[in-house]
Amino acid sequence: MVDPLIATIMIIAGGVLVGVCVHFIPASATGAMAAATGIATGPSMLSAGAGLTGIYAAAYSIDSGLVLVIVSGAVGSALMLLITIFCGNIMLAFGIGAPPVSGQTASGKSTFGGTKDIITGFEQEGYASPGTDGHGMPFQTAVSGTIGALMGGAGGALVFYAVYSMTLPGIATENAVTLAGIVAAGVFLINSVLPAYVLVGKTEGMFDMKIRSMHRTFISCLVTSSIVACVIYAISWLAVSEVIV
Amino acid sequence: MAAIPLLLGTALAGFLAFLAGIFEDSESNAGSASNPNSQVQLAPQIGNRHRYFNKAISGEPPANALWATTAATIAYLLTAHFGGDAFSMLVASIIGAAASTLLLCAYGVLSHISRIASMKNFEQTLYWDSLLTPLPLDAAFGFLTALMLTLLAFAAHSLLGNPFSVPLLAFFFGITIGAIGSSTGDIYYGAERLYQHYIFGSGIPISVQGDIDVKGEYGYRNSVDTPYFTMRFGGLVTGLAFGILIFLDAWSRLFTFAGVWTSVIVVSVLVLIILIFIYLLEVYTRKRYGRYTED
Repeated sequence: MVDPLIATIMIIAGGVLVGVCVHFIPASATGAMAAATGIATGPSMLSAGAGLTGIYAAAYSIDSGLVLVIVSGAVGSALMLLITIFCGNIMLAFGIGAPPVSGQTASGKSTFGGTKDIITGFEQEGYASPGTDGHGMPFQTAVSGTIGALMGGAGGALVFYAVYSMTLPGIATENAVTLAGIVAAGVFLINSVLPAYVLVGKTEGMFDMKIRSMHRTFISCLVTSSIVACVIYAISWLAVSEVIV
Repeated sequence: MAAIPLLLGTALAGFLAFLAGIFEDSESNAGSASNPNSQVQLAPQIGNRHRYFNKAISGEPPANALWATTAATIAYLLTAHFGGDAFSMLVASIIGAAASTLLLCAYGVLSHISRIASMKNFEQTLYWDSLLTPLPLDAAFGFLTALMLTLLAFAAHSLLGNPFSVPLLAFFFGITIGAIGSSTGDIYYGAERLYQHYIFGSGIPISVQGDIDVKGEYGYRNSVDTPYFTMRFGGLVTGLAFGILIFLDAWSRLFTFAGVWTSVIVVSVLVLIILIFIYLLEVYTRKRYGRYTED
């Protein structure tokens, strides 16, 4: 268990991690029409899906200490995201009949420049369907998504463990776990939606120029998470001190 | 050797998740509930009067979380109040799923009517048959999704030993299945089924978006035909994605070779294996389809 004040800082750190992770997860709503690179849904909701899977996985290890909870959350989240990317690419390959290609990289607007996949070295130019901004999830975006999911899962698990630590002295263990799960899911949803204002529905992860706007997400998530963390701290303190029962 | 409930729970959870994925994708396609609803919404604006059921109430993850949590809460309260065995849990889940289906129907009808009404300026007509014919089908898939997720939440709680309460697990599964469903199955609906008159082997250019198929194999296309088409591939892959996720997550906890860290090690290895599969699939598609050439 951790001290309530440290737990409050953990909630803020977790919230910021969640917000930042969304920038790394390639997602685009128009991906559903295979008209843009990225997983075919809004970045925020996809991150929420991955992050909550991480919290679900982390819950199994709640009694095994902070480090295991964080790592379980991170890898659980990465597993969800990679399965989604793999199945999305299967759908694109056999349902639509097109290869995964990064639109930003193909047009030379990638963060690192050039028209090749930075990890595999595959040429991207010429593979995108005419009139589209790429489709599917090429390998570099899958790696970026994995990094994002690891961060998001770790952030969610951090919040989960912090709230569990704060509420455990006041209520029964099984109630504390569920309450921590609800609060962690809430903090996750709040912070995963905030980057939507910067990403406006589409990102290719760390290979998208929008990654350079991450400081805005960082600041907004820091402010929001601080407020949320203070509220959680206050309510937990009141509950544990039996001021409210 | 893992305990019998854990083995049973792993297999059952994987199977229920697989079914839930198929039903969820079919439900979202029957009601145009996810990202491709933008295309159905756009169609009248470029002169395509359609007969699709368009009931996007919210994003797919929150909508499914709502259905699943409603069903699971009712089921959990019924079992907590009356007690009983696995059979009574099943009956309670059916009652819970039926209640959440009523909610889905109410929201679906209001959502479709208001969405079509907002297209009045573009001469989109509110066809009653395009609402009343797909609604029972959509509700049936919605019912099955909520039922599967509720049973999955019970299985995860009682057989797999997840410490979260059943309704919270159902909420988590609802968000996750919505995220997976709208990321995988929707591509088949949005880029293939709605645009079958465009040549296979290409994404849908932004310039033609909204030019969806309004006529089908015979007569006007409607939302009853859609799941019949998408379930053969889109639904199966969605089911596979969610089923594999739940199964592998539970499966990783069957081993004990590294103490409490076993699950993390197994999942990390799985993550690396899937990354390799993603790479191999990309290599295959690039060789198979190649660059786009001028025809």
